[in-house]
Amino acid sequence: MSAVEIKSGRGEAASSLKGMPLLEIEDLRISISSEGSSFEVVKGVSLTVCENEIVCLVGESGCGKSMTALSVMGLLPRGVARVTEGKIDYEGRDLLSLQSRELRRLRGDFISMIFQDPITSLDPVFTIGSVLKEVVRSHRDVSRAEAKEIAVRALVEAELPDAADHLDSYPHQLSGGMRQRVMIALAIALDPRILIADEPTTALDVTVQAQILENLRARQREREMGMLLITHDLAVVASVADRVAVMYAGEIVEEAPVEELFANPQHPYTQGLIRALPDISVSRGSLHSIPGRVPSPQTPPPGCLFAPRCVHVLDSCWEANPELQRDGAQSLRCFNPQPFEVR
Amino acid sequence: MKRTASRLVYTLIVLFVSSVAVFYAIRLSGGDATAAALPGSATEEYREAFRDRLGLNEPIYQQYFTYMGRILSGDPGNSLTNNKALTSMLSEHGRNSLVLGGTAFGLVFLVGVPLGIIASLRRNSWADQGIMSMSTVAMAVPNFWLALLAVWLFASRLGWLPSAGCCSTKQLIMPAVVLAFEGIALTVRMTRSSMIESQNSDYVRTLRAGGLSEWRITCKHVLRNALIPIISLAGLRIGQIVGYALIVETIFGWPGLGQVLVNAVLRRDYPVAQFFSLVLVTLVVMGNWVADTGYTIANPRLRKST
Repeated sequence: MSAVEIKSGRGEAASSLKGMPLLEIEDLRISISSEGSSFEVVKGVSLTVCENEIVCLVGESGCGKSMTALSVMGLLPRGVARVTEGKIDYEGRDLLSLQSRELRRLRGDFISMIFQDPITSLDPVFTIGSVLKEVVRSHRDVSRAEAKEIAVRALVEAELPDAADHLDSYPHQLSGGMRQRVMIALAIALDPRILIADEPTTALDVTVQAQILENLRARQREREMGMLLITHDLAVVASVADRVAVMYAGEIVEEAPVEELFANPQHPYTQGLIRALPDISVSRGSLHSIPGRVPSPQTPPPGCLFAPRCVHVLDSCWEANPELQRDGAQSLRCFNPQPFEVR
Repeated sequence: MKRTASRLVYTLIVLFVSSVAVFYAIRLSGGDATAAALPGSATEEYREAFRDRLGLNEPIYQQYFTYMGRILSGDPGNSLTNNKALTSMLSEHGRNSLVLGGTAFGLVFLVGVPLGIIASLRRNSWADQGIMSMSTVAMAVPNFWLALLAVWLFASRLGWLPSAGCCSTKQLIMPAVVLAFEGIALTVRMTRSSMIESQNSDYVRTLRAGGLSEWRITCKHVLRNALIPIISLAGLRIGQIVGYALIVETIFGWPGLGQVLVNAVLRRDYPVAQFFSLVLVTLVVMGNWVADTGYTIANPRLRKST
């Protein structure tokens, strides 16, 4: 028995409800420039998020998953990272070619984002109520009283205990978990169509993590939002995802519905990640890890980016990088997929 | 409130310690008080009687308590050289110093903060580079030299401003600008880096993600956060201005506390030197307390926690 279990029945129900595509990222390329040199950190990522669907983007830190998310919001760090190619389509509009004013109108209203570190992500000198109301009133022409009502409702939905009493609280008066609930409230206050969550539980205690994820999934389901959840934690993926895209060194290497991915992972990197999950039923078993290191984005290896760490590597893997091949609901970037053996 | 009150206690302790230090320093600096007050022909018996009358033959700690008692009862004594009451000197020269120091203090923030904001908003533009290199120069130039340069240029060559004196607006301009110069430069740099740090913070990213306009984020959130460290160092600026006032008032013949203090030291007029040193120390220490209170108000993390 693995520590990771996929909740049975949910997947099928969700996929039958899954609606129209909301967000379509096509061949996205992002470059980072530092000290005169520039290198690509996102290398042609394509990804679709549909209505009422949770897509998880999984990968190690530095694989480009956060950059992908930030580029959707138009929030890539200025002067450091920029989109060099690709399209990000939201309901027929290319977000990359929008004026900053138009993009600003979409942010927080139609597309929202939750960040990793709730401790530093809230303005320390304003009360949470005032920031919530400010965001509401920057998109809706409502009175102060109405804005307050919307703010309280959002906090209640984010399950902040004694929500109304916390409007006048400063962030430093709240715990990390409570602050993340405030971040969720900020993101869902205006009923967005798409919610992007970048490692929303990584900085939190394990006990709080589950509650926050549960809350996010509940809000997503009742609003039929499209949700892009970025994480490095396969346990998180297993508990909430409908579909999973695995990213390695700036590329998507495998994409599949969550049950398929855990039951039958194809890419040797995905297989390594799943093997690396600790198994609590085996006491004192050795922990599995993937040998080698992520290649540096400045000096990528020739051919397949995973070749230097791959156990099934062929000669041809060193010569060309395989294309992402689509087969039904699954996609795979590998010349030599092998059946998965648990240990 | 608790923090402000405990800071006040701390401030009073600092005041006590520094009053002891000032008192001892003046007593231990040598020189004979009678040389300042009596003619050279006075006999040794007369001098001894004079010292007795002033209490200079008592043990120093006893002199200290006698002296502090007199200050607290509102009678710090008279000058040895012209027998003027120190209280009337304080009201006359103190007002001049407040005008000069207050103007300089105002210039530091009214000029320094806006320039720093402009530099941070137009980062790496010609405006930013110009402001930053000017501030580097301003920090490197010693103010006595700057004062002489200003007198040469604006008084001798151009004849726009009077070279010295008190107390018209025209006479105030040069000493106030010279006195504020280094403070402006430091404030520009601090405002710029503080603004940039705030612009790059996670909470600003959150506000952008919420769809607030850049203008609103900058004017409200970035600025408000960036001002906290600037306010916290306002106390240091007060100390700097008081210290430089000694030099600047002397050069520009501005009859303020600094000038009085410098002259008193030169003439060994110890009651004046002692009293005005204490006044300046009190001003700096209390100024720091006020700045700290402002810091507490600006920073909610320091207010009462629940």
